[in-house]
Amino acid sequence: MVSVLTVCPYCGTGCQIVVNDEGTEERVIGYSRSPVNEGKLCIKGYSGLSYNFSRDRLKYPMINRDGEFVRVSWKEALDETADRLLEIINEYGPDSIAFQASAKCTNEENYLMQKIARLVGTNNVDHCARSCHSPTALGLITTLGAGAATGSIESLAAARTYFVIGSNTTEQHPIIGTKLVTERKKGKNLVVADPRKTQLAELATIHLQFNPGTDIALLNSMMYVILEEHLEDEKFISDRTEGFQEFRKAIDKHSPEITEGITGIRPEELRRAARLIARDRPTSILYAMGITQHIHGTENVMSVSNLALLTGNIGVRGSGIFPLRGQNNVQGSSDMGVLSEWYPGYVPVDSPKVERFEKLWNKRLPRNKGLALSEMFDAAAEGRVKAIYVMGENPLVTEASVSDVETAIHNLKLFVVQDIFMTLTAGEADIVLPASTSLEKEGTFTNTERRIQKVNPVYPSPGEAKPDWWILNEIGKRISGIKGYESPRDIFEEIRQAIPGYAGATYDNIYPIGKQWPINEENPAGTEILHTKTFPLGRAKFVPVVYAPPAESVDEKYDMIMTTGRNYFHYHSGTMSRRADILERESPEPYVEINAVDAKRLGIRNSQAVTVESRHGTIRTKARITEKVPPGIVFVPFHYDESRVNRLVGKQVDKLSKIPEFKVVAVRVFA
Amino acid sequence: MNYILSKEEMERVFAAISVDFESYGAVEKEGEVVFDRVHSLAEVSENRSRYAPKEFLIRRNENVLYLEEQQRKAVFGIKSCDLKGFYLMDKQVLNRDPFYTERRNKTLFVNFVCNAPCEGGFCSSFGGPVLDEFDIQVLREGNNYHVMASDKYDKYFSGYRNDDGSYFSDFNRKFNTEMPPLEVDGLENRIKWNSPIWKEFASRCISCGACNYSCPTCYCFDLYDDGDERKREWDSCILSGFTSSSAGNIRSGLDERLRQRFYHKFVYFKKSKDEFLCTGCNRCVEDCPVGIDIKEVITHDYSLE
Repeated sequence: MVSVLTVCPYCGTGCQIVVNDEGTEERVIGYSRSPVNEGKLCIKGYSGLSYNFSRDRLKYPMINRDGEFVRVSWKEALDETADRLLEIINEYGPDSIAFQASAKCTNEENYLMQKIARLVGTNNVDHCARSCHSPTALGLITTLGAGAATGSIESLAAARTYFVIGSNTTEQHPIIGTKLVTERKKGKNLVVADPRKTQLAELATIHLQFNPGTDIALLNSMMYVILEEHLEDEKFISDRTEGFQEFRKAIDKHSPEITEGITGIRPEELRRAARLIARDRPTSILYAMGITQHIHGTENVMSVSNLALLTGNIGVRGSGIFPLRGQNNVQGSSDMGVLSEWYPGYVPVDSPKVERFEKLWNKRLPRNKGLALSEMFDAAAEGRVKAIYVMGENPLVTEASVSDVETAIHNLKLFVVQDIFMTLTAGEADIVLPASTSLEKEGTFTNTERRIQKVNPVYPSPGEAKPDWWILNEIGKRISGIKGYESPRDIFEEIRQAIPGYAGATYDNIYPIGKQWPINEENPAGTEILHTKTFPLGRAKFVPVVYAPPAESVDEKYDMIMTTGRNYFHYHSGTMSRRADILERESPEPYVEINAVDAKRLGIRNSQAVTVESRHGTIRTKARITEKVPPGIVFVPFHYDESRVNRLVGKQVDKLSKIPEFKVVAVRVFA
Repeated sequence: MNYILSKEEMERVFAAISVDFESYGAVEKEGEVVFDRVHSLAEVSENRSRYAPKEFLIRRNENVLYLEEQQRKAVFGIKSCDLKGFYLMDKQVLNRDPFYTERRNKTLFVNFVCNAPCEGGFCSSFGGPVLDEFDIQVLREGNNYHVMASDKYDKYFSGYRNDDGSYFSDFNRKFNTEMPPLEVDGLENRIKWNSPIWKEFASRCISCGACNYSCPTCYCFDLYDDGDERKREWDSCILSGFTSSSAGNIRSGLDERLRQRFYHKFVYFKKSKDEFLCTGCNRCVEDCPVGIDIKEVITHDYSLE
């Protein structure tokens, strides 16, 4: 029997777990000394780890020969992958290949992948943060200078008011959600802005059930009220910000009486909410995909930032902006620079600071922006990209407009997938490389509050599966001339040199409870609250943003708005959670949530099979009649590969961050 | 029989037991008390373990198509509240569930009686901390160990100094004044089906299952086929898939499922087995992320509802 302290492999909360292993019968407990979860876990932590022992695990490298996967040796798989990549680079240049990293992999692995990509000469390296928090990185770097949560999970308890917009926190970040539930029960204020009636919305002081995609109208109206009633924090604005006057002008057009027609929120409700947020401080503002997955995602984020700045809710315990990260390592993978416009530590690819990496890696590096995740498949369809190397991602389920992804993959000369399961995406690969899970390897994850936490192996890998860093290391040696790393620790030592915010972290000092970046000479113990005295930009920026409608709107034919997302029991494309028996039992099949009013109008009964059709595609799924969604809006989770909702999502992206609009799709539903 | 032993003598008993059994004990790891193999009594922590070690008898997940012969195991340092859980489970599953029964018969529990009340615990309400039923019950006093041994395991203490057991009863009396028992008598008749507390609990609950997984008395499992194996896995009655029938879970509301959990513990089990299915360990309260407190179910004034 062994007990290992490690990090839950699911959401970005980063709960620390102790796994007691005896053979394959694991017992999981929350680590009671963890400042993140204080010993608590959600159902995914308790009952979600059995995917690790699934018989579906990939155990051997395989190459697709004439339509059939054939087991090969590691040497053959690695050599062939490397040879074919090099051939393509030699013939078409380095920008003809693209890498997709993963927010489910460790910092070390993501760092290694982007390093390999850049050493071979391309910035075509990106990952799923593109589809979740790329607007956060860009938006908050623009306004504050750092694209991360400004406070800690622990500090949330110090707030008097919570403003939750576009986050179903109790289902998606359950342990953070429970902190809000507990504080609300103690009498704190909770304002929830969400088109759906979530558990938090039910508990809220005020639930603003606004129309999807109208976030800026809503937020600007709140700020209109705050200015109109002189509730802004004048001292904070004059001491610590810039751009206020210009911002103020943009707000003038957004009185709640005007925006009511857009958001659907009654002015008096909105006024009450705005007063709570501005008056009963400190206020913590939490958001997730409801803010980011829009064609105005980056502007939405900046609007949230404007609200925090206007009310002086930043830099003090209990205040702050909390972008809740969807996957265990979204923060870390973004920090590592697996984003096509940033080198590690958010150094823009076209900035002179790239020299820092040229020195560190001893090579001239590409300075052009690479392809974003949402652009890679288009480039493949057009023939500009010839090879894609995917690590731990399942774009055939998770990308917008998945039918185009299918076409694009078929147009590639080489498609390599490194994964723990034969996913829908891996099934299309030329070469499949079997990887270890995070319960089988060492490394670090950085959670949603910037806490760098140690990941430790509990179990041996099945068959010949290898940790992702090992596989990348072998590929890197063959194609990028790296000399190779001995261990994840070895890679982490280099990360400390590459990213100033990580400089002070070591495998020893982040164990057992992790440290929050920046951790360096000035902050040797890490940093719980950001921006207490000054911003990385010096002064924070107000950025005027004006409401514009989402890309899609209803018409006579497509008369309802669909939003997509996760449910409590599943995670991402379901490759892990759907192989955890209790989780799959709880939510075994795809569905569409629809209000009783709509169901009646359309003659649809509960559990009836229905078609959901958008301008881009069609799926069949089951109707679930619920009061959680209001009339006119339907919700479909994206976990199910047997009914891929991303067939329905179009390709419109935020022009700034290139995130697709997963949250507003015009559809019609019929039996 | 009752005994009093020195530290060295207890180590000798440990060694003798370890000849016949594989020895496990509560040990500290990164500040968390967990169970692991131990090779001396000195390794065993007196602190309460982070969890009730019920996997010694009911595995979290196992194939039920084969029952392998089990190792004989001795578990040192289990606390009375957690051990009491097994005696309650016995009433339901012993000699019915072959897996449980095989392990139960081959496992020796050496329970350490807590020297002081723990925060939030209420074992005194359910017959703790000195138990009437045990294998070997130990209460340390300075460098000496007071021991109560059941007939089955009395042989390990032959030749050691006998004791009249009054230390245990005096200690228990004192403990009960420090942790006054809650009023549990008649709870099975007092509790109300239509009490608003079920809905209030449901408004907070996120269905994490912690109350079940942490409970030393919860024994329910899910059964499913997995390739050529038929597995059972710890289940949670808070989940909607629990005891699902073709019409779904007959308790469709979370409030109904929460009520079922408490009714099982305080009404149905009491009426059928004449015991409450709770040991007062407080683990479900400690692990609950939203502060649902089982003590509230016991102390709530139902008379006005």
